Amino acid sequence: MTAAEGAEGAVASQLATGQPAPRPMAPARQAPTDLTLTFVDEATVRKVAAAAADPDWLLADRLAGLRGFEALPIESNRLYTPYVDLRNAHLSAARPYPAGGTADARGGAAPGKAKLPEGAAAYAEFVEDRLAALVLSPEARDAGVALETLASLGARDPELLRSLLEGGCTLPENDKLGQMTRALWTHGLFVRVPDGVRLELPIVLRWAMGAPNGALLSRTIISIGDDAQASIVEEQVGSASTANASGATGEAATEPQAFFAGTTEVKLGAGSTLSFAGLQDFAANQIAFQHRSAVVGRGSSLRWALAQLGCRVIRSRIDNTLEGDGSSVEQAEIVFGSTDQLFDLTSYTRHIGRDTTGNLLSKGALSDRSRVYMKGLATIDLSAHGTDSYLGEFAMLLSKQARSVAIPSLEIDQPDCRRVAHASSVGPVDETQLFYLESRGLDPDEARKLIILGYLEPVVARVPLASAQDRLRDLLEAKWAARTGAAHPSAGQATAAVA
Amino acid sequence: MTTSREMVSSEYKFGFHDEVDYLEETKAGLTRETVEAISRFKDEPQWMLDFRLRAYEHFLSRPMPMWGGDLMQIDLSKIVYYRKPSQGEEKSWDDVPDKIKKTFERLGIPEAERKFLAGVGAQYDSEVVYHSVREELSKIGVVFMGTDQGLKEYPELFKKYFATVVPPEDNKFAALNSAVWSGGSFVYVPKGVEVPLPLQAYFRINAENTGQFERTLIIVDEGAKVHYIEGCTAPIYTTDALHAAVVEVIALPHSKVRYTTIQNWSNDVYNLVTKRAHAHAHSTVEWIDANTGSKLTMKYPSIYLRGEGATAEVISVAVAGKGQHQDTGAKAIHLAPNTRSRIISKSISKDGGRTTYRGQLKVVPGATGVVASVRCDALLLDEGSRSDTYPYIDIQEDDTTMTHEATVGKISQDQVFYLMSRGLTENEATNLVVQGFLEVFTKELPMEYAIEFNRLVKLEMEGSLG
Repeated sequence: MTAAEGAEGAVASQLATGQPAPRPMAPARQAPTDLTLTFVDEATVRKVAAAAADPDWLLADRLAGLRGFEALPIESNRLYTPYVDLRNAHLSAARPYPAGGTADARGGAAPGKAKLPEGAAAYAEFVEDRLAALVLSPEARDAGVALETLASLGARDPELLRSLLEGGCTLPENDKLGQMTRALWTHGLFVRVPDGVRLELPIVLRWAMGAPNGALLSRTIISIGDDAQASIVEEQVGSASTANASGATGEAATEPQAFFAGTTEVKLGAGSTLSFAGLQDFAANQIAFQHRSAVVGRGSSLRWALAQLGCRVIRSRIDNTLEGDGSSVEQAEIVFGSTDQLFDLTSYTRHIGRDTTGNLLSKGALSDRSRVYMKGLATIDLSAHGTDSYLGEFAMLLSKQARSVAIPSLEIDQPDCRRVAHASSVGPVDETQLFYLESRGLDPDEARKLIILGYLEPVVARVPLASAQDRLRDLLEAKWAARTGAAHPSAGQATAAVA
Repeated sequence: MTTSREMVSSEYKFGFHDEVDYLEETKAGLTRETVEAISRFKDEPQWMLDFRLRAYEHFLSRPMPMWGGDLMQIDLSKIVYYRKPSQGEEKSWDDVPDKIKKTFERLGIPEAERKFLAGVGAQYDSEVVYHSVREELSKIGVVFMGTDQGLKEYPELFKKYFATVVPPEDNKFAALNSAVWSGGSFVYVPKGVEVPLPLQAYFRINAENTGQFERTLIIVDEGAKVHYIEGCTAPIYTTDALHAAVVEVIALPHSKVRYTTIQNWSNDVYNLVTKRAHAHAHSTVEWIDANTGSKLTMKYPSIYLRGEGATAEVISVAVAGKGQHQDTGAKAIHLAPNTRSRIISKSISKDGGRTTYRGQLKVVPGATGVVASVRCDALLLDEGSRSDTYPYIDIQEDDTTMTHEATVGKISQDQVFYLMSRGLTENEATNLVVQGFLEVFTKELPMEYAIEFNRLVKLEMEGSLG
């Protein structure tokens, strides 16, 4: 009866007579919604708070997060309950890094002495739980730009920290995993661009993770002042501690997994602009939960350019709140999946102000047995006169075993809109385009690669740092070369024997 | 266009209510004894009683679905699950009890029949009371009768297909229907036979708190062709009635089935219906489905494309006014290669009404060469109304071409202005724009139905316009 009931899926596969089920079985009996983390409890929360010498309000906030975690199901939106699958996450041995604020002081070279990447205004890097770099260009520092750890902010300006964090900030109240991060975060960054400051060069934030059984929970708070302008590049990569440096290689089924939960909590003042590029290329043993939320003020615009390449299982949620009149968000996200990766991507866009614009685009290319769930919901409140909302979810399946689920949804209370639309398509590589390129002398594999990279290019082009753009292109090429099916370029065209 | 405005109150057109002596009925509420009593009244074979009881057990164990419309107001203990209006099947119109006949006459059934009907199965509460199949159709072997009668007269055919498309375990209300089903149509079209005119059945809920649980089974043999039309009207009552039907369609290879529904229950009825078809090789199944009435409708006509080269089409229309929620949609499940599906959904929300499109498109591994499209358009006529779209698109086969588009908007003021400049009133102009919006559906209807449907939409629209 329901579009959503999983039972029907079972019936459907039964009916496909003679079809062997190609999906691999999980090693142990683990339900798709089972979260295998073992450290999310009050004792750990209190330990984390004590080690960080948290003020009382912060401990209370953490405990509120824990209560949310305990009360909520893994997917609180009934629309999406059939599409949760954490069966490849085996995290019972994962332990959070010892809290202790930021561990700024540990490690060799002082983070402040790290070299600023070329073309960047500021740079912060975490390697596992160690702050490896935290530098600002003199120009950025003079303009009043802040880039610091949440621990140092707490020491410098406890009231500001409180105003930023108390009440969960913009973390969604109905999200179990977001509330978990609220309860147990041990590391964090604060980025502030003051009113009127227009920062030409991007701020680079880098997270290198993947030590087996490590678990890092962090929050990144970004505050963009009125009439300010900034761009941020966030890179999430495997650390030297991981056996596989890239999600593109190897199955990593037996290796102990690493866990990362990170937030990006953005507030944009009036008339401001933020371009945020997120490149996720964690190692193949990584399980990651991302929460990105933004409240966009009057006349402001936010641009997300997100690439999802790594991780065994990545579950990401984006919450865009278009609060101010005339505010806008442009979100482009690409996925390149291989092996048995699962990309579970949810995006909520809520239109509240008048004449707001939401333009959201997701594109996936999936090889091997990789899967993507693209869940998008645009909500148009009664107050949101003149809304323009577009949601597009597209996938290209490059192998017989790949799977794409798209659920582009709309909930609309206000009829007076400029445009409300969504679109979705799924298909193989276009044969006409292939034929054209082959007629120009390209071999079939090269032609397919060109088509796929071209398909993903719109997001690459939006990354606001040339070196990061180049790196993303290289990563996509490497991923193409490393996919399991690479040795058999024609595999995708083979006719399946169907009874 | 003006914003929300009180609906001009108009008496429900078909809101009359006859006093009929009910010969047999169960006590209100659902128990194991109710289920046994229904089966006993009907003198059914043991396997059907066992089936009903299995469904009853499942119904009890299954939680109320929470993902869709608000079902909390239904009081299952107040519903009469079985009520029989008269003894036996009526072969001729003359034998139908006068009071029942009068009801149908006011709905215009005999006239419609004289005009073009191939056969009529009219359901008055829980039992098929009137039934006629034209002689020539009987001669070519077309079976069109009440489902209870089908069970008696064609036991083997019935048992072979019954509940194979919608098992009781499918969902809570399919389980309820399976436990207490009564009435509905049983249709069998033999190999190669094309039924030249649509088969029609009218369903009505009468008597306060009568749940109606009809069960329709349509088997279309190889190369055969049929069009089945179902239209509903119901009298208005103050308390809520429940309609939980199950429709199963089996389209055998190379056959063609079209199932047309115009649902216009009065606005206090919960309409929770499971409609599903199995499309075998090279067959075509079409659901043409309109929902204008009821308090809450939850209905997602589905097609399982089981055989190579099968084709599915769903055209669905929903109109929700004050106090109404139309939670409707369509499902196409591609299980075989080279199957095609097309889903078109149009919805209109007004006067605080809510429409929800909830659909599923699924392609399983190995179902190569699938071409599928889904298109959803919604009109929101005023503030306070709501429109939701929840399409589920699950593709597990790389050789698939799938496209989906959806739009939500208001009535184009440019179009209304243009029409008004040609001398139409605002009301007429708006009406014309809405009719144009729905034309993709209306043009699929037989002419009489199209006229009636346009009249209905016009009636609905009058409440929302100045």
